[in-house]
Amino acid sequence: MTKRPQLIVPAVIVGLIFCVIAGIYFIDDAGSLPSFFPGHEAGSTHVHFKHGLAAAVVAIACFVFAWFQTGGDRPERPTPT
Amino acid sequence: MDPISYFQAIVLGLLQGVSELFPISSLGHSVVLPRIFGWDIHQDDDYFLSFLVATHCATAIVLFFFFLKDWLQIFRGLGRSLRDRYIGEDDTYAKLGWLLVVGTIPAGLLGLLLEHPLRSLFASTETAAIFLFVNGLMLFGAEALRRRAPVRSEESIESDQIISRSLSFRNAIGIGTAQAVALIPGLSRSGASMGGGLLAGLSNEEAARFAFLLATPIIGAAGVLKLPELLGSQGDHVRGQALVGALCAAVTAYFSVKFLLRFFETNRLTPFAVYCCAVGAVLTVAFAVS
Repeated sequence: MTKRPQLIVPAVIVGLIFCVIAGIYFIDDAGSLPSFFPGHEAGSTHVHFKHGLAAAVVAIACFVFAWFQTGGDRPERPTPT
Repeated sequence: MDPISYFQAIVLGLLQGVSELFPISSLGHSVVLPRIFGWDIHQDDDYFLSFLVATHCATAIVLFFFFLKDWLQIFRGLGRSLRDRYIGEDDTYAKLGWLLVVGTIPAGLLGLLLEHPLRSLFASTETAAIFLFVNGLMLFGAEALRRRAPVRSEESIESDQIISRSLSFRNAIGIGTAQAVALIPGLSRSGASMGGGLLAGLSNEEAARFAFLLATPIIGAAGVLKLPELLGSQGDHVRGQALVGALCAAVTAYFSVKFLLRFFETNRLTPFAVYCCAVGAVLTVAFAVS
């Protein structure tokens, strides 16, 4: 797998943004969501749990991607004696 | 009066176990079957969704235990790669594990975001019949555009090796995204993922194997997410039937996966394509006339 270390910081930043988005979805009801958020519905008390879950999944995917980019090209294996 | 009788639960459970894994659309069948039998069951009714949760969980559990040896190897591979921060091309189970993760994410996201709107939009029996026909065309198309002739792999371990070597992460994203078509009643998740596997260069057996592995987390997650509905007030009056349906689904799912893995050693998707086109066409005309 080709490593792209230059993508570590962007991936972490995007992951953090999606963490915040997930938190907003879990905490706020549809009526309190910012109007540009998918699922915003004025006056609604429905909590978009699934939207939050989707955002959390994307956040985790970004962090895992960043984690792999921090590794070397190939792990050192112990030389057989 | 109970919304689903025990007889209906048995029939729907048996059907669910088979049609979830055969590339013929379980959702499509569960939409059209009640109308054919004249049952007052609709796929959008809360109690029916609760009933389906139980059958989905049963199917996922059967799939997990059927491939338990593979899953244990996959979990070890995932752990190994996370520790090393490296996915070796020669590490079959680490690569296979991440292919499954990468394939599951788009299907999961699309499922979470689009399940309700798509189900509402395509809930009628007429559209399910039309999409059953379209599913047949999709299976024909996958066989026509396949990149490799069907050949038999010798060992299950070899199949996993071939899958992990043949598929790229881009392929896995494509196959995972294709799975999301199953949100539309009439289109088959396993059909889409098997078709995607064929287009990516797998044989029928390997494509089926990858489709079943890929199905386990998606079906399981969908079931677990909706489990509170079955355990809550929506599940009142259907829990006994759901348990019976789940047991029936588990039995047929076990025999279905066993049968299909053998079937695809030497056969293609064509018989299922013919079935879907024929049943879809007949039902479309019948529903239009009636």
